[in-house]
Amino acid sequence: MTEISIAAASTVTGADLPAARLGQRFGRLDLQSQLALLAVASLNVNFDGLPRDRTGICLAASAGSLSTDVNFWNGRHAVGGPSPTLFAYTLPSAAVGEVAIHFRLTGPNLCFVGDDKIILPEAADLLRRGEADACVCIYCDVVTADCSKIISLPPAAMARAFFLKNGGGGICTLPEFDRDMKALSAIIFQTKSAG
Amino acid sequence: MREPEVVIAGCGVISAVGCGVGPLRTALQNNASGLRASEKFSAPRFLSNIVGPAPRNPDDDNPAWFLAAEALQQARANAGRALATIPAEKTGLILSTTKANIEALERISAGRPCSETARRHLRADLLAADLAAAHGARGPVQTVSTACVSGLVAISQAAKTIQRGDADAVLVVGVDCLSEFVVAGFTALKALDPQGCRPFDQDRSGLSPGEAGAAVVLVRADLCAQPAIKVRAFGGSNDANHLTGPSRDGSGLAQAIRVALSAAKLNPSEIDFVHAHGTGTGYNDAMESLALKTVFGEACPPVSGAKGMLGHTLGAAGVIETICCVLAMENNFLPGTPRLSHAAEGTPPGLVREPRPAARLKNVLKLNTGFGGLNGALILSHD
Repeated sequence: MTEISIAAASTVTGADLPAARLGQRFGRLDLQSQLALLAVASLNVNFDGLPRDRTGICLAASAGSLSTDVNFWNGRHAVGGPSPTLFAYTLPSAAVGEVAIHFRLTGPNLCFVGDDKIILPEAADLLRRGEADACVCIYCDVVTADCSKIISLPPAAMARAFFLKNGGGGICTLPEFDRDMKALSAIIFQTKSAG
Repeated sequence: MREPEVVIAGCGVISAVGCGVGPLRTALQNNASGLRASEKFSAPRFLSNIVGPAPRNPDDDNPAWFLAAEALQQARANAGRALATIPAEKTGLILSTTKANIEALERISAGRPCSETARRHLRADLLAADLAAAHGARGPVQTVSTACVSGLVAISQAAKTIQRGDADAVLVVGVDCLSEFVVAGFTALKALDPQGCRPFDQDRSGLSPGEAGAAVVLVRADLCAQPAIKVRAFGGSNDANHLTGPSRDGSGLAQAIRVALSAAKLNPSEIDFVHAHGTGTGYNDAMESLALKTVFGEACPPVSGAKGMLGHTLGAAGVIETICCVLAMENNFLPGTPRLSHAAEGTPPGLVREPRPAARLKNVLKLNTGFGGLNGALILSHD
């Protein structure tokens, strides 16, 4: 079986956003897209050296786009009507689109609603099937205070990103059994700080 | 080792043209449209009141559940013995949706009654979990939300789940409901045609929102006694160009089609029919026409689209339009393009206006595109 490795990993929170320098459009993105984009930028991967059409994106969002949905719906009575800009972000896959646009990645995309355990196996499957040579994996846990009042999830503003590629090397090979990005991140960052 | 083939063993649908696969087949064979004016969206704050409503109780606080459950029930019954022999632990469920039960958000915001279940189903993953529990699927459960490509991605994910051996059958259900949320959003984007959508028409000016529950039962081919349509291959790509607008040259969709053709080991000339995304927006239809020209040149196979019949059903679109393809393949006809009057310049030469009998459709290509630059191409095949 082809070996797949985690070449880079990152975790960002809402506290990291003010220092982000990701172009003029960044401020117009919704919170989930900002965090996803910053997490991928923090991987420090040089996408220029990769075939863009062979690099996939696989994202899961704990609460879909509900935080932005609530924000959009609460603004429906604004002068001029609801925001067309915000409406475009009322899809969890908007964050996938923003990452694709920023890094010019034209490969296959997957986007799920739910926890982080689906991302790594599905991204690895894209590589094993030869549908992509590399894949950006993103988990977004974004629940604003307004949204938290409506659904049974605590407030959160966090994104985690991994960069998966074919072959060995990198930080570690992808364990077959470990589907939990949070647990895997803890091991990776513990190893990094110890090293 | 060769991966097992995956077939569509059953279908179920509730949409603007009625409840059941029969009414959909009849509508396809008669080029009928289920679009109509709705009092609910007649206020001046909406750009259009022409929508595709499904037959349901307008006072239901959980229409996503109703539509999805109805479609699943039909599809399971339609699959019959093929599904009955597969244990629940080897049966998965994949939900395709963009907004789940968004009705609950409107009710909560307005202080209207909303049950706990309806509120719970605002979360698409919980809607999927509850549908799986209610429909005997104790295997893998996923919630796919890749904008208007969700349905095709969900079918592709279901096929992969079976091919990996994680399940022997997967219920794929697509659902999205008509809501003020969605109609207000597309109004804000100025993406609605006040006269109702007219895909590929020279006077088209936008889409018409619709709602549907649509379900297909995918099973490992060797477990299905009856001949059935195969899920042959899927190709996906991203335009990496614009969040809400497609690439002008169609290169992203062309890439997805080529990936699917390559995975299916087919030449473009072997595709017998293309079922288009065909939203009726100026940019989408032009882009799609260019993508088809790029891949097929002047020898483009017959092309048609169903959104003039069903409206744009978002997360359900890929599933219900795949069912349209299955019906065309099973009944040897080419569906038409409802509400098309005068084809726009540059549209594919093989654009089918009215339904007509066809020779056996061996390989059919289903296309969808979505916000975020996402593109999907699914190939279905007969033996």
